[in-house]
Amino acid sequence: MGKNQDVVEMSTGMKNFVRTLDSVDFLKMDRRTFMKAVGVLGASAFLGTYKTQIVDALEFAETKLVWLHGSECTGCSESLLNGGNPDVAQALTKLNVNLAFHETLCAQQGIWNDGELVNTSELNSEILLEELYKEGKYILVVEGSIPNGPDGSGRYLVIGNKTFKDTLGEAAKNAAAIVAVGTCAAYGGITSADSDVAKDTDYRGVAFAKTDKTKGMLQELGIDKPVINIPGCPAHPDWVLLTLGAVILGKIKVPDDLDAALDEYGRPKVFYPPDHTVHENCPRRGYYDRGEFDEQVGGEKCLWKLGCKAPYAHADCGIRRWNGSVSMCTQAGGPCINCVDPGWPDSSRPLYVEREDVGIAGANIDTVAKVAVGAAAVAAGVHAVRRMKGE
Amino acid sequence: MVNVTVDPLTRIEGHQRISTEVDANGVITDAQSSSLIFRGFERILQKQDPRDAAFLTQRICGVCPLAHGLAATNALDDLYGVADQVPKNALVMRNIFQGLNMVASHATHIYVLFGPDLANPAYRNVLTTLGDTGNAVWKEMVGRFAPISYKMDGVAIPAGSSYMAAIPEKKRLQEAIALIAGRMPGPSSLYPGGYTYPATVADITKLSTYYLQVMDFVSNHTLKVPFDTWIENTYKASSPQKAVSFVTEHLQGLVDKSTTSNDFSKDAGWGDVEFYAAFGSELVGETLLGLPASLKHDTIGGYKDPSKICFVAYGGYYKPKDGYDPKSPAGDRIFTSGVVSGKLEYQKFDSDKVTESTAHSFYQNSANDFAPAKGETVPFTDPDKIVFTGGSDSQYSWDKAPRYDGIPGEVGPLARMLNIKEPLVTGLAQAFNEKGYSAANVYTRMLARMQEMAILAYELLNWVTVDYTPGGKISVPIDLNAAKNNQGMGLWEAPRGALGHWISAGSDGKVTNYQCIVPGSWLMSPRDSNGIPGPLEQSLIGSKINPVGNVDYTNPVGIFHMGRSYDPCISCAVHTIDLTGKRAPNTLRIL
Repeated sequence: MGKNQDVVEMSTGMKNFVRTLDSVDFLKMDRRTFMKAVGVLGASAFLGTYKTQIVDALEFAETKLVWLHGSECTGCSESLLNGGNPDVAQALTKLNVNLAFHETLCAQQGIWNDGELVNTSELNSEILLEELYKEGKYILVVEGSIPNGPDGSGRYLVIGNKTFKDTLGEAAKNAAAIVAVGTCAAYGGITSADSDVAKDTDYRGVAFAKTDKTKGMLQELGIDKPVINIPGCPAHPDWVLLTLGAVILGKIKVPDDLDAALDEYGRPKVFYPPDHTVHENCPRRGYYDRGEFDEQVGGEKCLWKLGCKAPYAHADCGIRRWNGSVSMCTQAGGPCINCVDPGWPDSSRPLYVEREDVGIAGANIDTVAKVAVGAAAVAAGVHAVRRMKGE
Repeated sequence: MVNVTVDPLTRIEGHQRISTEVDANGVITDAQSSSLIFRGFERILQKQDPRDAAFLTQRICGVCPLAHGLAATNALDDLYGVADQVPKNALVMRNIFQGLNMVASHATHIYVLFGPDLANPAYRNVLTTLGDTGNAVWKEMVGRFAPISYKMDGVAIPAGSSYMAAIPEKKRLQEAIALIAGRMPGPSSLYPGGYTYPATVADITKLSTYYLQVMDFVSNHTLKVPFDTWIENTYKASSPQKAVSFVTEHLQGLVDKSTTSNDFSKDAGWGDVEFYAAFGSELVGETLLGLPASLKHDTIGGYKDPSKICFVAYGGYYKPKDGYDPKSPAGDRIFTSGVVSGKLEYQKFDSDKVTESTAHSFYQNSANDFAPAKGETVPFTDPDKIVFTGGSDSQYSWDKAPRYDGIPGEVGPLARMLNIKEPLVTGLAQAFNEKGYSAANVYTRMLARMQEMAILAYELLNWVTVDYTPGGKISVPIDLNAAKNNQGMGLWEAPRGALGHWISAGSDGKVTNYQCIVPGSWLMSPRDSNGIPGPLEQSLIGSKINPVGNVDYTNPVGIFHMGRSYDPCISCAVHTIDLTGKRAPNTLRIL
């Protein structure tokens, strides 16, 4: 942090900026306070308050990002491009935080003449990647899962004449920090859904296979490096940018702080609170407390009977909302599908049927409802749960 | 002969490889298009609640999730027998949300995916030898279209003005979708029988504001002629010839003004559309307007044999009334279904004529050709058989080869614009045809996308302000029992082209079969059982790897343009969901 502060003070053109920083004491916050501030303000409030500071802070940190795409739909990159404050373009244009590689955005592509790489890293993505691996010291972001199949070969995804499994290994070995963005990269996501070819494709997350942290692709490759998971289908851009910002600013030290900052599934607790679910801040929560439920779409009441999984979903969507905080799934009348869950989508299906028996991680409905109701539990809420259970 | 391979072709959705053989003149003599990934999670919907399809199929593609969600919802409307009752308001909401996403998707393609290649050093090398005019044109190209993190000869190049301005607009469009859909990507608002969110008057006002902000971007960067004037004289022109004349006269006016000043800036009236319309084409720019040089994008990416290509549209955007016909007969949708032959003859679309071949794909099916509903998806499980270098006779892609009546089909904006007989695009296609060019080429493909974006912006305003009735009915109830032993078909238009989902349910009302055929499969397909190359492969063969300048095998910018001009989506193209077991007779696939 001291180094960053020096950089700021050296820049004479940024006196006002430094004064602003001092007044909000953003950079001087210790790590715990920083994360607390993110947590307490939540979200868009934090980003709104500290918008300028975050944009400018990102500017002077000298960090490269290498963003790799495995088996993905580009939805998480799309989501990142929808990022609010700061927006990605703001963050990237002036950057010393440099998006050195991103398959959907980069100028380069793989160019081969008679099987040999040609041209330079300015046009050839594969030469660029080799140079980046050699230089190291980048933050590796992975979007999408990694096939281990068939037969452990990884050949169900081959990019630039290399299996993605091998590419991940090479990129991970030389990375200063690794962030898995989206439920696919974190846990396997939709590519790991139960099926009779799942055994053949053998899709893995970077550090997990569903809830199993011994079967991530890095473990398969024998690479022991910490990974921060930012699940979501897609991941919220705030979760991604704030996590990267925290790592870059040294507010989360990798690996020293990770045990404290992450939950058992590698998710930053500040965005995926263990004791808080989407249900708590759902805009339809009042209807739940009164036991009023929609049974046909298009209404305004609680969506529990349409299969809403918000009481199981450990995420801050309810306070953060999406796309410039204009809405969220339940606000628009669709049930929450708990897309941040390590077992998603199997753990949430059938999506439109209320779940009365077993919750995630073996918790039963009473436990889940109690967690959901939390400290603010009121008789009406408990009553609603009882009604749902038909007691 | 040099093998020139682009792998990966970046700035597309997903992972794609293009392998070509190139002669001493820089002309491609053979080509293979390979999708590089098998995502296959078979059985994911089988025995499941059909309604999950509208959610889960959105995960096929994060760039156009709404199109998959809508194709699935159409199939579900049909399955539950409510397609004829879906309230007008719900259909208008679906139109708005798809229209916004299509505009965002096209803008992303034009500015973030395709545009950066216009700042390729190959153009600098040619243009800067052409004196002040050439230098001025190059300055515009790199100044507008350079991507982020771009360097030339070790010097960092700032991202282009249009590129940078487009990103916040794309974000704004996605925000507008989220306003009525919850979030974007991956929204939750689709449901058979209607839509989950009744937009309020306040939402409509906000949507109108978003609209005006996006139109500011259009008038500052994209199109400098007043938007209404453009629509009136192109989309609403009384004939294709009149539309083309309007555009060429408009461009001639700009050229006359700029040839002395060498000012080709936006301030001088050169919006990005005007700029590309003039400089992108040899025929328009050099022959008609008398420009000293062009990018010659009309000379690459064309089809050499019109009998081996057609242009397919399933039909998209509902008419603003209660209910719709799931079969999408001609004229039922705002963008009609239809098929245009390689010789520009019009036919009616018949979904029974669609087949898929796996003769050159990495599958070990019991036969090579299937009707969609009966297809199989049995992937190679021997790693040593997954080889991309075996040449045109081998199996070389995870993509299958959809065919219409045995013919490869181009789908997407160009196919849609031809099928609705959009005057400007139709007129250009005819003009190129008459002058010995392929009607479809990189240039017409890009202009069709730009024109479709303009048309959607025009139609969207109607949908938002006229067709939607706040407070009106937004859904009808569905009877889950209606799905029992029933089937549904969902035909739709994704940003990249014709998209179909087919669903069947058993006696328990659960899914027995689910099938998708997607635009990426059509466009990027490998050869079929008759050895006919797919649309991209056909457009590569016979085209030059460098449309202008010297042959440079190490910078085959023509291949980049041709590959990206289709706006490929590979996650869609490769098989992602197959709902029945391997080798089972009824195979559900989502490609």
